[in-house]
Formats: sequence, structure tokens, C-alpha cells
Amino acid sequence: MPRPTITAFDRSPDGGRGLARDTRVRWALEEVGGRYDVTPVTFEALKQPEHLARNPFGQIPTFEAGDLALFETGSIVLHIALHHPGLLPDDDDGRARAITWMFAAVNTIEPSILEFFNAKMIEGDQAWTAERLPIVMDRARNRLRQLSAYLGDREWLEGAFSAGDLMMVSVLLRFRPAGLLDEFPVLAAYVARGEARPAYKRAFDAQLAFNTRSGS
Amino acid sequence: MTKPTITAFDWVPPFAQGQVRDLRVRWALEEAGQPYDVRYLNQGAQKEPAHRARQPFGQVPTLEDGDLTLFESGAIVQYVAEKYGTLLPADPAARARAIEWMFAALNSVEPAIMDLSFVTTFEADKPWSAMRRPAVEERIHGRLKDLSARLGDRQWLDGDTFTAGDLLMVSVLRILIDQGFVESYDNLTAYMHRGIDRPAFQKALADQLAGFTGDAPAWYAEWAAKQKQGETA
Repeated sequence: MPRPTITAFDRSPDGGRGLARDTRVRWALEEVGGRYDVTPVTFEALKQPEHLARNPFGQIPTFEAGDLALFETGSIVLHIALHHPGLLPDDDDGRARAITWMFAAVNTIEPSILEFFNAKMIEGDQAWTAERLPIVMDRARNRLRQLSAYLGDREWLEGAFSAGDLMMVSVLLRFRPAGLLDEFPVLAAYVARGEARPAYKRAFDAQLAFNTRSGS
Repeated sequence: MTKPTITAFDWVPPFAQGQVRDLRVRWALEEAGQPYDVRYLNQGAQKEPAHRARQPFGQVPTLEDGDLTLFESGAIVQYVAEKYGTLLPADPAARARAIEWMFAALNSVEPAIMDLSFVTTFEADKPWSAMRRPAVEERIHGRLKDLSARLGDRQWLDGDTFTAGDLLMVSVLRILIDQGFVESYDNLTAYMHRGIDRPAFQKALADQLAGFTGDAPAWYAEWAAKQKQGETA
């Protein structure tokens, strides 16, 4: 694979707490030992033609390597996992199970935290928010409770660490600022195992340095 | 080759009939020409231990193929596409882009659409739902506008070949069918109907609808009455 270039927020709105989605792609690249370049995109530029050509929804991250250009974090992480050893099991069934958890992370777990952010941030000043927020939080808790019940005393979702864990840990990290992650000790410990991986630390440090760099 | 078994419900409320996500898996299997069996669950069985062992979140569909059990419709569609080789292009870059659209359908487009289901169904009896509606609709249009701009005059998302990415995107758009959202964009409307018109989709839809042979559970009548109240309040 030619050395890839990814895009990231010029300055992440979280100030470098690692919650922007480029961290997931950085993490996957660090797990497989790949080096990469980062192109910053300002908020204004997200919706301009140059970036919309990379991602039609005007989001980060994107991934370019040689002639291949991809958007959508899950697909980028899966592409990296399919083309390097280390993030997916070798056997067909194990690989299918790992990929299952990638989809579960983005389509079953993540929507509940997106909903929470919409309720808190976008609708935060509305009269109904105080009454509605607990309902939204309970929906999120319901998902986390189910995931926690499945995880039990497993170290990772399926045997060894995989791209499914990478995506799930990344999604779960978004629940932490709301205090929801720490309500589930099993999940909090699972996320901590993910954060303790050297590749995650390198990815986190890289995004922090990027988001707090001087100039531009 | 083993014949896979999927799970589906034997009854869902009328608004969900033709929308339950086993439809996406049935469609993929039909595109592959692969026969399958269906294990029907009555309402409530999805939360029982036997099904939780297949699906930790108590949802349908699942797929069992030999010793392998999978859940999450996107992952099952991906597995079916890989195994039978019909829904993913052989060219590595085109294949990666098809998978990109699968994730885009499920993570960039579908969450905005599902928010509408809280307004119209799950929180329909709450006083805030009517007030939330404009913002929810605006977020949906934001996604559809971007998608329409990218689709342009292409037949399918990545050109002339129907892929698993189209299968999921059409499935997601169809949640909104005839509500005036997709219909605001001529090219998206035509695209959605190209997908719906495929014989494999029509067969999958007919089979899902034919599977609703069970009775409504006891709680349904009361719930439906409450919904109706919310609509007229």
C-alpha cells in the first residue's frame, strides 16, 4: 500500500481529546505499523468542492492511497484491516464475526450516542430538553447494558483484539464525557484495555499534537 | 454448500411490515440466488436467552451458516456478498468503494432518518415531537442533498454496477418512501426505484410480508391507541 494521506479537522472541536473520527483511522494505521500523512481541513473547507470530492457528506476523515480514495471511517478501518495482518483473524468465520462487531459499533451502538449529542448540543436550548434527555440517556444505557452483558469477562469481543474492538472501543469513548461509560464497569475496563494498547497511545498522542500544534 | 438460516418476526406492527431489517438480508440472498430457511420469532422471543445467544441486542435478523452465527444486517450483507461473490466487484478499489457506501448508508444516512421514527412513532405521544420535527427533517435533507449531489446522473453509486452499497443505501432511503423526502430529489427517487424494481428485492419483500402469520401481542392494542392520541393531540 502506498503511504496514505488522511484528512482531519484543522482543529478538532474536542481540542484533542481524541474523539474526532480520524483517531480511529490513525489507530488502525498504528496497529499495522503504517506511516501516514495528515491533511488538515478547516470547517469552512469541509463543505467546499475540494473536500466534497473526497467525502460527499463533508466529513472527516478521508483516506487516499495511490489511486484509491475512501471516506467513511468504518470502511477505511476495514480496508486497512483487510490489507494488513493483525486486525482480523485468519479464518473466514472469525473474520466475519470481527466484521460483525464493526457494523454493530457504528449502526447499533453509535446512533444512541449521536442522538444524545443532538439532544444535548443541538437542541440543548429547547424547552423540552430537560425532560427528554433522560429518555434519550436511558435508550443509550439500554444498549450499553446489552453490550456489557455480552462482554462479561471476555477480554475482547471475539478472542483476540480485532478491528471490531477498535471500532467498538472508539465508539464507547464517546459515551464517557456524558458519564454513561463509567456506569458500566465491564465496559469501562474494556475501553481502558483498548486505550492501553501502544498503537492507541501513539494515535492519541499524534492527534493531540496535531490539534494543539502552533501556527495555521 | 450449506443452506443458511435467518431469523425474522412472525408479527410486527403495520408500520414496520416491509421495513424489518431481515429484508436487507433476504434481498442480498436473493441477489445471490441462494435459498435460505427462516426461523420465525414471535414478539418477545427476541429478548429470550435462546435468541440473545445469537443476537446480544435482541434484534433480528441473524444468519446461521454451518457453525457460524452472525448478527447485524450490514455485516450479514457483507458476508453474503463476500461468500457468493455477487454484490462486490472483483476489482480491489471498486470493492473498497462498495464497502464504503455500505458504511455510509448505515452510519452517515440512516441515523438521521431513524431520528424521524422517534418523532412519528416512538415519542409520538410526547409534547415535544411536533416541535422537534422541523430540525429532524432538516438534518435528513442535509444528508439527502449531499447524496443527491454525489449520485448525479449515475445509475448506481459507483457507476454502472449494482453493489452491496446500493443494496443498503436503497434500503435506508426506502424507510422514507412516499413521505416527500426522497421525492424532493429526482435522481434519488429514480435511484431508489431502480433498486426497488429489482426482481430480487420484490421477491424478498413478498417473502417478508408472507411471513407475518402470527398474532399481535396483548400490549399492541393499548400502545396503538396511545399513538393515535399523540397524533391528534
